Amino acid sequence: MSAPAGEPDASPVRVLVADDDADIRDLVEFKLTQAGYAVEAVPDGISAWEAFEANPPQLAVLDVMMPGLSGIDVLRKIRESEFPSVPVLLLSAKSRDSDVDTGFAVGADDYVIKPFSPRELLHRVNGMLARAR
Amino acid sequence: MSWDGVTEGLRSLVVWSMDVTAVPVIIYFLLINTSLLLLIALAYLEFRAQQRRRATAVSWQGAGLAPGVSLLVPAYNEEAGIVMAVKSFLTLRYPRHEVVVVDDGSSDETFARLEAAFDLVQVPRELPHEIPIRAKVLGIWVPRDGRTRLVVVRKENSGKTEALNVGVNAANEPLVAMLDGDSILEPDGLLHVTRPFADDPTRMVATGGAIRPVNGSRVVSGRIVRVEMPQTWMPRIQLVEYLRAFLLGRTGWSRLGGLILISGAFGLFRRDVVVEVGGLEPNSIGEDFELVMRIHKKLLDEGRDYRIEFVPEPVSWTEVPITAKVLRNQRRRWHRGLWETLWAYRSMLFRPKYGRIGSLALPYYWLFELIAPLLELFGILIVPLALLLGVVNVPFAILFLVLAYGYAVLVTLSAMVVDEWAFHKHDRWRAIWQTIAASVLENIGYRQATVWWRLEGWWSSLRGKKHVWGVMTRTGFDEEQA
Amino acid sequence: MIIGAALLVGATVVILGACVLLVILVVAVRARRHSRNQRDEMLMSPLRSALITVASGEDDDGAAAEQLTWATGVSRVVLDRNIVEMLGKIRGVPADQLVHVLEVHGAVDAAVEDLTSRSSVRRARAAQLLGLARAKDTVPLLVTALGDESVEVRNSAAYALGLIGDPAAAGPVLAAIGAPERGLPAATAAEALQSMGVGISEVLRDGMADDNARTRMVAAHLSAERSFTLGLPQLRRLLSDDPDLTVRETSATAIGRLGRGEDADTLVRHTADTEPLSLRRACVVALGELGDTRAVPALAEILDDSDPRLAELAATALLSMGAEGSAALAGHEDDPAVRTARLLVSLQRASA
Repeated sequence: MSAPAGEPDASPVRVLVADDDADIRDLVEFKLTQAGYAVEAVPDGISAWEAFEANPPQLAVLDVMMPGLSGIDVLRKIRESEFPSVPVLLLSAKSRDSDVDTGFAVGADDYVIKPFSPRELLHRVNGMLARAR
Repeated sequence: MSWDGVTEGLRSLVVWSMDVTAVPVIIYFLLINTSLLLLIALAYLEFRAQQRRRATAVSWQGAGLAPGVSLLVPAYNEEAGIVMAVKSFLTLRYPRHEVVVVDDGSSDETFARLEAAFDLVQVPRELPHEIPIRAKVLGIWVPRDGRTRLVVVRKENSGKTEALNVGVNAANEPLVAMLDGDSILEPDGLLHVTRPFADDPTRMVATGGAIRPVNGSRVVSGRIVRVEMPQTWMPRIQLVEYLRAFLLGRTGWSRLGGLILISGAFGLFRRDVVVEVGGLEPNSIGEDFELVMRIHKKLLDEGRDYRIEFVPEPVSWTEVPITAKVLRNQRRRWHRGLWETLWAYRSMLFRPKYGRIGSLALPYYWLFELIAPLLELFGILIVPLALLLGVVNVPFAILFLVLAYGYAVLVTLSAMVVDEWAFHKHDRWRAIWQTIAASVLENIGYRQATVWWRLEGWWSSLRGKKHVWGVMTRTGFDEEQA
Repeated sequence: MIIGAALLVGATVVILGACVLLVILVVAVRARRHSRNQRDEMLMSPLRSALITVASGEDDDGAAAEQLTWATGVSRVVLDRNIVEMLGKIRGVPADQLVHVLEVHGAVDAAVEDLTSRSSVRRARAAQLLGLARAKDTVPLLVTALGDESVEVRNSAAYALGLIGDPAAAGPVLAAIGAPERGLPAATAAEALQSMGVGISEVLRDGMADDNARTRMVAAHLSAERSFTLGLPQLRRLLSDDPDLTVRETSATAIGRLGRGEDADTLVRHTADTEPLSLRRACVVALGELGDTRAVPALAEILDDSDPRLAELAATALLSMGAEGSAALAGHEDDPAVRTARLLVSLQRASA
């Protein structure tokens, strides 16, 4: 995969990844890092929100089901924050579209259903950033 | 009469009453301990089974069979927290749920805050009158976006119980969840408590979830983000009480098929069954207990095959009293409600038609929940008196106390083992030592005070005194504003 | 008195001893969890990056997958457990590569053996592994496991059969719901049946004639969910005659979703006020969903029903039936039910 950053000397695009599942967190971090993104990975919703506030990323990948603040909660807070237009991709477990419905209602830009294909996730992240520009 | 004469008279009275009561007290003591041990054993079996299920659980996301849920939120002067609470209820993980707020004639900004936050529009809807309502319904509002699943009903003030009944009438989904407006729910709590309905859709009529004190924990946006021990001993002791009641009591009864108490702070019911039994009893003090009893009675009378189950996963967090005054009101109310409901359903005792409810659960509640404080008070009075008058010697009295209260500590510790093994919500070692300390401290002062308050509640009911509702003053969560 | 005192002392010692034991137990439970987590982490740490590389699909030369196959002893056991967990989270080529690692380790063969283990947790985990590894040839074994004495094994077997997706297992999965004392939870069964091919429509149709109400309900629900019109005659029968109200409501909803025009009459019949209110409401909603205008006169009549919700549902249904439906609202414009339904529809349209 080629680096997504447009200009050769531009700093890499920063992506926030939040998932309480260490497997998925590590795997998404690895996949996106390999693709040239600067990834900050956090294990729960509140850390995600704190990380977002401290340094808003250009894109966020949030797991819906996290203890404490869920991905939907964090998304809601992002949309009410000073940087409401940061693209957000939700990671949701297999379900009858309900998370997806709630997610879009609160303002998600895209979603990926678990079990997912890491390659597809990368394509979606690339696509979202391309659209956001 | 001389002073010696009085002492001597008192002494013989104490000796006499100890003689007379010795055998019944010992029998009672044996019974209560044995039944508690049995409940612990049952809870242990149930937990082992559940632990096996958890160890092999595959994630369930409510696909397919998860029935729709209406969350009923009665609100009286809750302007501070209502918007946050509704937002957090709306974003619970569940395939299909709506939030029904019933504003019980609040005199503050409760409704205005909701109206502003959700851009409410009034609809000319008339509510179904499946459950008869005495108070006047003032109107119904929904969010302007036509999409957010929120219904706000305003009514004249007539109390929480009737507010819940209005909520049942207004509910559109087949299941209704009865909540406190200040409950904090786990994001996937609804998935846990509806699971029994999805697994046994034709028979399950009610489920209850475990409740824990939230005091001291860190709350952000209506969610618990870090579980912590409460700051002071009074809520810590209540934490111990909740562990015991939910992890041992309810779980054991649920396994026996004799669950008769689902807490009002989180109960889930089939709407049609609630309607069928006529809703909550507005005059009842222990309305949640009364409702479950009425469901049992009606369905058993009709010989129907049904289930009521307890879900031990912690699904709901609630703030517990931190002052003696509020705690006293709460305990008086609970005991009064217990007595009035047990008395109202006394005809179910020992009738074969009512199975385990009549032959086990109800007698247990009579003997060990209702009457227990009376006997304990007797012990509290007689032991020091006997000691003072030299009827018993000091080592004997101390031994007796250690035995009686040591047993209580034992029961609590069993609950802790179960909690640590199954849920381990508190991840600091300090929490363990504080919980152990609380289970010991509970027996020094706290327990005696609650014995007295419970008897006060019972007594006020017996005298037919009109109950004055205690207002629960809340300290507010350690809430952080974004 | 002496005996009494001795008894008292004895009992006190026992109680206090038990308390101390329990404290030790609490600490031990926690310590064991910590140490086990640490051990697993330690064993996994050299393999972790290879596992992540394979799982993320970045193992182009297959070197990481190969490294995983070399693991032996306890670390292989821990690794296999991690792989099984990972398989529930990813799909595509990386998943196939991980299944291959399991096969090389002999984990799939071991799972077949574990299906008859004495520990129910082992049996359940074995069944799940077979499903995650998509081991098609083990379907008959998994079908047997649907009748296991432990519910976690029955659940896991159904889950595995759903993952494998072989329609041949649909009959046994559906039948397992009603097994006396050893029933398969309906939710698990429904989820498994959801992911099986179209070959299950006959099984669902037959399931609607089962003796067990839960089985009939799952079959009726899934027939609608999967749009199997083959089950329509049975659904109509259930709506009319089933002794269980939940089954009848489910059938009404199902008919609304996949029924034909003539089903409007069937549904209308069950909106009569001799039927339970919840069934009447389900039928009115289903009529709206069905959208056949033959129901218009009946729905218009319901606008006058004494139940405000039923009237509002009827108004909403009529509003969804185009000009003919809206025309039937004439004369009811001032009814609260009609005004509410209108307002809600306009709010929905405005925000769409």
